[in-house]
Amino acid sequence: MKNRGIAFKLVLFTLSGTMAVFVSAFAYVYFSSKSSMMHFVEMNGRNATHAAAYQIESVLRGVEKVPLNYAALLTSGYYKASDLSLLPRQMLATNPEIFGAAIAFEPEAFEPGKHYFAPYCYRGKNGVLTDIMLGGAHYDYFTMDWYQIPRELDRPQWTEPYYDKGGGNKLMATFSVPFHKELNGKRKFQGVVTADVALDGLRKIVSSTRIYKSGYAFLISRNGVFVTHPISGMIMTNSIFSIAEAKHSNFLRLIGQKMIAGGEGFVELPRGLLYSGKCWLYYTPLPSIGWSIGIVTPEHELLADVLRFGRMVIVIGICGVLLLALIVLLIARRISKPIIDLSATTLEIARGNLDATLPDIKRRDEVGALARSFEGMRVALKDYIENLTQTTAARERMESELKIASRIQMSFLPKVFPPLPGNARVDIAARLEPARHIGGDLYDYFLIDEDQLFFTVGDVSDKGIPAALFMAVTKTLLKGIAEKGMSPSEVLLKCNHELCGGNDSMMFVTLFCGILDLRSGRLRYSNAGHEHPFLLRRGARPERLIVPDGFLLGVNEEASYETMETLLQPGDKLIVYTDGVTEAINSAGEFYSDSKLLDQIESCASLSADGIASRILQSVKTFSSGVPQADDITLLAIWFTGPKV
Amino acid sequence: MDVNGRKQDSFFIVTVAGRMDATTAPEFEKSCLEWIGQGESAFIVDLKELEYMSSAGLRSILVVGKKVKAAGGTISFSSLTPNVAHVFSISGFGSMFKIHDCLETALANS
Amino acid sequence: MMRLLRGLAGFLPVVVLMAAVRVWAALPPAAPDAKPILFVPHWAPQAQFAGYYVAFEKGFYAARGLNVKILEGGPTMPSAALLEKGSVEFATMFLSTAIVERAKGAKLVNIGQIVTGSSQVLIARRDSGIKTIHDMDGKRVGLWGGELSIMPKALFKKYGVHVKVVPQSWSVNLFLRGGVDVVSAMLYNEYHTLLQAGVDSSQLRVFNLSGLGFNVPEDGIYCMEATLKKDPQTCRLFVQASLQGWRYAFAHPRKALDIVMKYVRKAQIATNRPHQKWMLSHMRKVIDLPPPGGCPEQVKKSDYMAICRELMRNAMIQRVPTFSNLIRNCAAAHEK
Repeated sequence: MKNRGIAFKLVLFTLSGTMAVFVSAFAYVYFSSKSSMMHFVEMNGRNATHAAAYQIESVLRGVEKVPLNYAALLTSGYYKASDLSLLPRQMLATNPEIFGAAIAFEPEAFEPGKHYFAPYCYRGKNGVLTDIMLGGAHYDYFTMDWYQIPRELDRPQWTEPYYDKGGGNKLMATFSVPFHKELNGKRKFQGVVTADVALDGLRKIVSSTRIYKSGYAFLISRNGVFVTHPISGMIMTNSIFSIAEAKHSNFLRLIGQKMIAGGEGFVELPRGLLYSGKCWLYYTPLPSIGWSIGIVTPEHELLADVLRFGRMVIVIGICGVLLLALIVLLIARRISKPIIDLSATTLEIARGNLDATLPDIKRRDEVGALARSFEGMRVALKDYIENLTQTTAARERMESELKIASRIQMSFLPKVFPPLPGNARVDIAARLEPARHIGGDLYDYFLIDEDQLFFTVGDVSDKGIPAALFMAVTKTLLKGIAEKGMSPSEVLLKCNHELCGGNDSMMFVTLFCGILDLRSGRLRYSNAGHEHPFLLRRGARPERLIVPDGFLLGVNEEASYETMETLLQPGDKLIVYTDGVTEAINSAGEFYSDSKLLDQIESCASLSADGIASRILQSVKTFSSGVPQADDITLLAIWFTGPKV
Repeated sequence: MDVNGRKQDSFFIVTVAGRMDATTAPEFEKSCLEWIGQGESAFIVDLKELEYMSSAGLRSILVVGKKVKAAGGTISFSSLTPNVAHVFSISGFGSMFKIHDCLETALANS
Repeated sequence: MMRLLRGLAGFLPVVVLMAAVRVWAALPPAAPDAKPILFVPHWAPQAQFAGYYVAFEKGFYAARGLNVKILEGGPTMPSAALLEKGSVEFATMFLSTAIVERAKGAKLVNIGQIVTGSSQVLIARRDSGIKTIHDMDGKRVGLWGGELSIMPKALFKKYGVHVKVVPQSWSVNLFLRGGVDVVSAMLYNEYHTLLQAGVDSSQLRVFNLSGLGFNVPEDGIYCMEATLKKDPQTCRLFVQASLQGWRYAFAHPRKALDIVMKYVRKAQIATNRPHQKWMLSHMRKVIDLPPPGGCPEQVKKSDYMAICRELMRNAMIQRVPTFSNLIRNCAAAHEK
């Protein structure tokens, strides 16, 4: 989901929202129309069953009247015994709806010695009234339902429907009314008057009743047996309870019980009970006979209109949703397309093509704003990069120039001691580590004549190019000034004089210089504000060389300098350095300090000049490792070996 | 490095704290030249809290000193730390500028 | 081969019978023009006689060379009378009926007692307040006529209960309408008819005669003594084929019901398949089938004597027919 595009999400969310609205609206319409249809069906079911019940009831009531009247007559006793056999025929003649009628007496009740007396008349073939006498070994009517039930209950009764095998195999029901005789003030049961009604007519009434095409009406007896049913095989064989049993439906059984109990109702039945599909049943009782009439309406038909309407709504809904989907998709595309384009272009920019043209800058919407922002960024980035390129180029040029300058500067400095004529009486080595490419420290040594070694170490104030230039000037001056016969102080005085001229920027240089007589070891020296060198006498601890005061060079034209001298013994060593050594800083912010330098020098007693310079430089570097070098570092070591023997 | 200036009596006292080296010295130089431009002439530079001074720092002091002199003013230094005193001594600044032990002495003796 | 089998039969009756069935099964069906052997069950077509209809429909009679024809039973076809008249060769009836007939002098014999238990019950509505047999005192009780009233009467006598007997036909409507307080019923038939008329079993209280010490064997196969004497083989084969029919019916109730329903429809009996299904499943409980080829268990003399005693008491018989004259199962037939 997260990885899906805007269009997909927009379509999904819009459609699911719309679908939810649509589905709920549809459901509402469907259920409300279904419920109104059901209401309609219930009403129609009630009307139809009531109408059928009314018709049947009126037939039955008409039939009932006849035996009731005759029973009353028989109870009253106002009849001739000889007429009794004719009474059934009389009943039929005046009542066409009666199929058969009988007057059945109790044993011996008609006349002593007569076990059976039951004249019966029925409509035989072609409606011809036929009289017979009932009763006999094979027709012991006293235990027949039509006789026994009204007798035992002592009230008129309708029998269950039955097939009369004697009279043309007709389905009929019999209404029997007991009649009595007053004997010693007691009512004594004498027999029953019966009227049979053929159920064909009633069945026609029921089977013509229906609401929808495939629905049907049915009639069940007091025992729940089907008196009418669209499947003729069900009639008289099956009951609503046998169906319930076959379908294992206790629900249907309960409905059957309500029906035969004289209830009225409207229920929904699951599929396959009274109809193959789901259906609705309206039932109403026939109170006189205790039967019940039901009308079955299949749900599919009941809902056919609802479903047709629903299908139409669904089709419209789906079309609508599809159209909406298309529109949303187009809108989404319209929104996401420029973003995709923009994204492609920005990707190109990200890859380095800063000249890529951003699309949609003229749009007035959010995408346009985004595009403009990107454009602003692109331009700024381009400017910056161009700027950076130029700066870098300038800096590279400067760096390379500085490198060249550095090389030039370093080439000023003597690397190797010039071979002494004759024999070596001195060992000399120097190191210069500028803090930047070029620095303001300087050293130099050269022979003024064959015995006189001039050496100097200086430190120009500040660093960088100005210092380097000033150093170059100073070194050149010294080389030019230092001549045979000049004392160190004279060299400094002269140099100071030269440097002071036109030095508005107040550049200055501290300088120590000395002239060592290689034969005698006599060292004359002078100092212009420089760090005092260390002297390591052979076999002794290092000590500071005592030097005369002298103002640094290049500032005070009136400054004066002195020369002092000492005698070096063979093996003595002199270490001259700049403050870059003692003021080197370690990562804890501590200075290298004089004391450390002193310790190093002390450990260098047995080393050559080069060894001393190397060791001290290494020590300083180790000390200040990880910290950028703040100042130029210069070391000059002289080992006076003494005249050769 | 911190450079601050304040008037006290007729003097303009400049206090410098921290390190004065090639990186920071131009700031000191610039500040002092401004004060000179504003007409200050009697400078006492209090170095009580200056930890370190490089040759670049010395140069700035020389520049300032020269400007002060050119403007007809005076400049003196007070309360040098041992480090700084050593540098002053070696470089010969001690003979070029007036140095006082403390600010009070400087105020009294200038 | 046949002789060898007959020779062995006395020692290994069961094994030989099983083998014999196979041999007869291989025989060609009886010739159609041969005079059919007629059989009538003692009531209208229903699952109570499923075994016989199945045996016929599945050809179990024909396979034994018996050209059996089943007549439609019913109230107009009293099986004992038909046997005595020689109208049919075989018939079923209740043991009590047979005893009565034998006592009257009819020379009929029992060649196989099929139903070994009693299904007769008395039923009252629970709301009638009848909880025990004693509660039936003074109540209207529907009783069938003839031998079927014997056991209930014996029961009432045993419990010292005096009831108002109301003659009961084959309908239970009188009970349904409240005309009697207690109704006679067969568990496999009328009881279920009540249920199918919408009465719930929870509304009824059922008194089992068998459970009250009056368990009498019911349906059995009968023929005339002369028939058995003349053709014991046919008698035995008829019983064996009928038992096979029952065995098949219980193993394939659905097919058996199809067959029963066919006869039901033919006879236009007002019944339905669920009812017949109930009946068949109940028959299974009261029919104790012997293993294939075996004989049905013979009626116990004690049961026989108990029935005779009650029949005597009710003046249905004047003398007790000799047990061994009446009860001759198929194994006995074979011995001859």
